[in-house]
Amino acid sequence: MRHGTCCQCGVTAPIRSFYSMNGLTYCEPCVWKAAREARDAGQPSEYISLTDNSVCARCGADNGNSDFPVVGKLPLCQNCALLVTDWPYPQWIKLAFLFLLALLLVALVHGRKYFQAGRNLYTGERLIDEHHYSKAVPYLENTLKVAPGSDKAALLAAKAALLSGNVKAAGGALHGHDDGRFPDNRDALFQEVDGLWNRAMQAYDKAEAASKLAANEGHEIEAARLMHEAAALYPESSELAIAADMYDEGAAYARQDYDSFVALTEKVWNEVPQSDTAAAVASALACKYAVSGDLNYRQRSEEMLAKAQQLARGDAAHEQEFQEYSERIRYRLDTRQIISKQQYDEKFRGAKSKLN
Amino acid sequence: MFIIPGFVIALATFPGVIVHEAAHLFFCKKFNLQVFAVCFFQVGNPSGYVVHEKTENFKALFFVSMGPFFVNTLLCVVFCTAAFLPIWELKVNDPLAYFFYWLGLSIGMHAFPSKDDLGNMWELAPEKAKHGNLLAILSLPMAAVLIVANYARIIWADLGYGIAVGILAPIAVFRALGRV
Repeated sequence: MRHGTCCQCGVTAPIRSFYSMNGLTYCEPCVWKAAREARDAGQPSEYISLTDNSVCARCGADNGNSDFPVVGKLPLCQNCALLVTDWPYPQWIKLAFLFLLALLLVALVHGRKYFQAGRNLYTGERLIDEHHYSKAVPYLENTLKVAPGSDKAALLAAKAALLSGNVKAAGGALHGHDDGRFPDNRDALFQEVDGLWNRAMQAYDKAEAASKLAANEGHEIEAARLMHEAAALYPESSELAIAADMYDEGAAYARQDYDSFVALTEKVWNEVPQSDTAAAVASALACKYAVSGDLNYRQRSEEMLAKAQQLARGDAAHEQEFQEYSERIRYRLDTRQIISKQQYDEKFRGAKSKLN
Repeated sequence: MFIIPGFVIALATFPGVIVHEAAHLFFCKKFNLQVFAVCFFQVGNPSGYVVHEKTENFKALFFVSMGPFFVNTLLCVVFCTAAFLPIWELKVNDPLAYFFYWLGLSIGMHAFPSKDDLGNMWELAPEKAKHGNLLAILSLPMAAVLIVANYARIIWADLGYGIAVGILAPIAVFRALGRV
């Protein structure tokens, strides 16, 4: 460390505590006085602090009378010069960085199922916005598997299901969510789904009433009217629309309007090609044969009966159903007599049970 | 508006302070600036600092000053995105998701550059902008907004920023994914 002597008072101290003015060295009190006097005399009065490059600017290390090298603008000892030019990351910060990366990885891996569920939720929401309701249902159901407590997912799933006529899926989504309880009953989505659900339930109540009526012979026309009301109340349901057509078949049979009976059964068969709908066509054609004697109807009826049998194969319930109605249709074809199921049962099946 | 002592906030959100100062140090090293002192976290004011040499290189100054803002914001988005769905949309009670949300918000809360960082940039930017330095031109409105935001810390603007980034960014991310 270098020392200096004040040109005024003669005090000796480290050079860093001195100032230079007009080429002379002053201590701090003397430089103030000298500057004031120079200013009063109209002479230059600027002064600067003296530096000592033999002292490290960072740690204060003393290098005796030798200067430290200047790094940037500051004299620094070797250790400080190395440190300031390449400040090392502490070990703990490196470990913390690795820990943060590990957390990031955990966050991504742990969150993967949520990302998928979220993506399904937003995709479902978008599909609903685009009115692709039935396509939205599986996406939203997948979200509910991960997040059964999500109000939004449950309500959107129910909405999509109801608007695609799938009341069962809607019921599953709503009742799977905290037993059907939702915290915010004023929420717009809740209100919308509540309205849809109530409308669907009213329709199904009417459908059930129609079904009970249809079970009693002679009420086919009234049952069909009620089923049409149900279908009109909930037009999103293709199930109810088809049921209305099927009830129309019964009404046409009751009115002995066999041309309408054939047309309606063929329409339903084209929409839902199943064993029972094929049998309904066979039944209608058998009626036409019975009243006209036209063998063409008989041939077509037998073809449809064969199709019904083929479609029922492998399903015990369908096979049993086929057995029941095929007997009656064959009787109609063989005798050209049109009798109702009740009459047929009384005439033949009651006798069978007596024998058995 | 209720007042919580700064050291309590710093303690509760210490990961954000550490990330902020580490980002400062990273950019100082990246641009070969001399570093004289570093404190990653302390219970006091400031809760962390990096003392580095002054520079006339605006690019270096910009990244050293604004680097933590970008790094903290990015990490806030990542961690909050991981936690956003289970907490906000899916209503799943997952403790790990709450931990990630705390971590993300802590980091996001300390995204704002300090007044000193912004002051250095604000001082140099007009002159550099006059000479057509694109980064300086871009930094001026950014610095102006952040200076105001910095003063608004008294009304929890930093927490507001963290929450906004931690909620709005994930919503944007997932809305975009839902449209794919």
